[in-house]
Formats: sequence, C-alpha cells, structure tokens
Amino acid sequence: MRKIFPPNELARDERFVRTKIEDRVFDPRNVALIERDLGSAKLEPSRPAAADRARSLMHGIFVGEIQALEGAGRTCFDFDDQEAPFSLKLDMARQCWDESRHVEISVKLGEWMGSEIGEFTESTFLYEAACADDPVMRLCGVNRALEGLAIDVFNTMKEFGDVAGDPVLEFCEDWMLADEVTHVKMGSDWLRRLTEHDPERRNRALEFQRTVDKIFSLGGFRGESDENPVHLARKFRRMAGFDEAEMDELVEISKQAQADAEAMATAAAEGGGAYGA
Amino acid sequence: MRAIRVVPNPFELVPYDADTIAGLAAEAAALAGFPDDVSVTLEIDEVLPHPLTGTFVEVTPEAERAGGTSHLDVWMSGANFEDPKRPVKFQEELARAELVRAFLRAADRLRPEFAGAVGDEDLSDRQRAAWDVWTEGRAERLGVPGTRPDRLRYHYRLHHGFNDVADAAFDRLWAADALSWDDLERACAETAAADTRARPKKTALRKEQLRAPRPDAASA
Repeated sequence: MRKIFPPNELARDERFVRTKIEDRVFDPRNVALIERDLGSAKLEPSRPAAADRARSLMHGIFVGEIQALEGAGRTCFDFDDQEAPFSLKLDMARQCWDESRHVEISVKLGEWMGSEIGEFTESTFLYEAACADDPVMRLCGVNRALEGLAIDVFNTMKEFGDVAGDPVLEFCEDWMLADEVTHVKMGSDWLRRLTEHDPERRNRALEFQRTVDKIFSLGGFRGESDENPVHLARKFRRMAGFDEAEMDELVEISKQAQADAEAMATAAAEGGGAYGA
Repeated sequence: MRAIRVVPNPFELVPYDADTIAGLAAEAAALAGFPDDVSVTLEIDEVLPHPLTGTFVEVTPEAERAGGTSHLDVWMSGANFEDPKRPVKFQEELARAELVRAFLRAADRLRPEFAGAVGDEDLSDRQRAAWDVWTEGRAERLGVPGTRPDRLRYHYRLHHGFNDVADAAFDRLWAADALSWDDLERACAETAAADTRARPKKTALRKEQLRAPRPDAASA
C-alpha cells in the first residue's frame, strides 16, 4: 500500500464539490466587498444572514473533521517506528477515533441547523498540510496549527450557541473543543520530545506551522478584533501548550494574512477577471 | 409577460444575466399573485457572496408617486442566487424560490391588513423571521421547489428562541393561509413572552445590514 496519499485521490461521493483556495482569493467581488462597510464580522445571531453564515461554517468544520481523520490515519501508517514512535501512532489512532466521532457530530449538527452533507464546497488544504514527509512537520502543521484553529472555531461556535440559546450546538461544540485541546497538546508534547536534540528540525517544523497558520488565517478569518469572524481562544490554547508569545505572533500572522489577501484582491481586480461590460 | 427592470444590467462582477433574472421575476410575480399594474425594479447586489444573503421589499403606493401607479423596489443580495457549491455561479432553482418569496411579501404589503407593518429595514429580527416562515410555507404550497422547513426553522429559532412555544408558533405560521400584520405581531409577542434568553445590554444605533447605505439615506 502506498504512503503519502495525494489529496486529489481522497474518497468522496458525488455530494462533495471541491474548491481551490485561489477561487476565493481571486473572486472578482473581493475588492468591492472589502470597501463595503459590513460592520462587525463576528459570528453572532443578531447579524444579517446569521443562520447561513453559521451553516456555512458548520459545513467547513464537518469537512475539516473528515480531513483531520484522514490526516491522523495517514500518520499512523506513513512512517515506520524509527520515524514515528509507536506511542505517537497510538496518539494518532486515538485522534482518529475522536475525529470520526466529530464527523458524526458535525453531520448531526448540520442537520440540526438545516444544512446537509455537501451543501457547501470542500477545499482540501487541511489534508494537504498532513502530507508533509516529516512527522514533526505534520504535528506542527496539523495538530498545532490546524487543530489550534479548530479550538478557535469551536469556541466561536460554542459562544454562538450560547448567545443564540441553542443548547444542542453549545453542548456539542464544548465537547469537541475538549478533544481539540487534547489534540493540540499532543502536537505540542511530541514536537518537544521528537526535536529535543535537534533544534534545527524543530525550527523547520515551527516555520511550517507559521506557514500553515498564515494560510488558514484566510485573509482575516481568525483574529482578535470584530473584523474577524473567528476569535483566538487564548484560554484554551494556553491549556493546549501555547505560550503568550506564540499567540501574539499568531495574531500578527493573521493581520499579515488579511493585508496580503486585500493586496491580492486589489491586484486581481486590476488585472481583470470580472464579467459583463 | 410583465416588464421588470433589473439593476445592474449588465452585471460586472458575477456572470448573471439580467434578462434571465427579469424573466424569472415575472414568472415569480405571477405565481405569487402580485398585481400586474405595479411596476417593479429589482436590484441585485452583485458584491455580496454566499452566505451573505438578504432581501428587502419596498412598496410605494400610487398616492405617493407622480406617475399615478404603485411601484415595488426589491433589493436582493447576489448571494441569494448563487450556487453555494460553486462561487459566482447562478442557480436558477434558488433564484426562482427567492423571487417568489420576495413577491409574496411584496403582495402582502399591498394588502390593507399590512398597513401597519414597518418598512423591511425597520423590521425586528423576530418580526422578519415570523413573516419569512409564513412566506416560505405559502411558497411550499404553491409548489416552489427548494422550500425547506428545517432550514428556515433554524433561522427562526435564532430569533424566536429554542423552545416549545416558539416551535408551535412556527408550525402555525408555516401552515397559515391568510394572516394580517397584527397576527404576525401576536405570534411575535407570544414567542417573546416565552423567550428566556438574555437580551443584549447594548443595542446598535443603526441596525446592521448587508445593503449599502443609499445616497439619499446618507444625506437625510
């Protein structure tokens, strides 16, 4: 059986439609959207189109859980015991069990919110971060960067459920959030153990984590201001092994990602790509 | 078929076709029983992507217009017509359903029973959600594809509460054939009384909306 499974061959049925991150970055509406004052971007029940926004985010969580399951599963298989200790694989196997439970919960939450599997697009860049050929990079890219983002997203959805008075959403997100803290902590612990005598490898992995963090900031998706739909969950990140300096850096990375996305949108608009006249 | 003016024409940011939308709107108006003698302008806000959906309808009565006929202005987010799976792609079934809903509510506004209704931009979230449920229920009975009670129920619960009283009111609104503005107000009062959620301590000076402020509103 082959190792390092390519993202374009992930098993999906006809309900799933894949999109590329470039589709979003080069959407001809971006510049005008940035110029439009839409008020706070924070996910709140009182905001316009709150239900559609929440459903869209919920679907993003759902496909993210599938890919996290696939990524953790690959890490159990892709490396021998020299590259990845057996106890690390046991942790990844436990994570697979958690992620499959999260997939089921997310499907049910989607139905609860009036959505369905495949209603929105899927982009596979979460899984792509799980294709690194060094297990330490995977732990940084997936467990620390992406599962860290999951902490922020779940905490945001939990707060949304709390404010909306939706007991089902709040309860489910809280339970999944607890698992994500464990997954991130696994990443933090294994990063420390596997690179204890190899600072260069650790730096490479942390640099990879920064790259993934920047990509997943999605032009201001995550941050600490009302301009960001998803907020950094500092308390839970602290529990998962992040220190304050790392979290401050993450906020800066998110701001930079937002500035970059705006610059790219402007460049794309100037270069054409619109429709009509 | 009635003429409906679609703005913009042509679209510049999304590959939507104004003539196609005008045709769909005319069919939707007929299905919703919207009177032929009311002129219609349909503005599509092509800047807004999915999931930033939204619709406003505004009827100017005959007496307030120089031309001597009533006029309907519909504002819709371009997201209302966009395939959620394929960015910027127009989805006809979605557009049909959204347009029927808009014309059903616009037709309500022409009835004397809705004389007391405030303008769409001034409706509370609770009022709007209740009206949307009644509208969607009627759309389903008209055979409009894509009507989803489960989908609307979540939107409704966000504004009326996650409790049995709100759910019972939803079922009544969905199944109702003829309601007045006072009926909708009563349903809202009933769910508000059963709503135990904390109210926000602060309320915004201007209700947040996706629609860009109109030049005349800004100067007023």
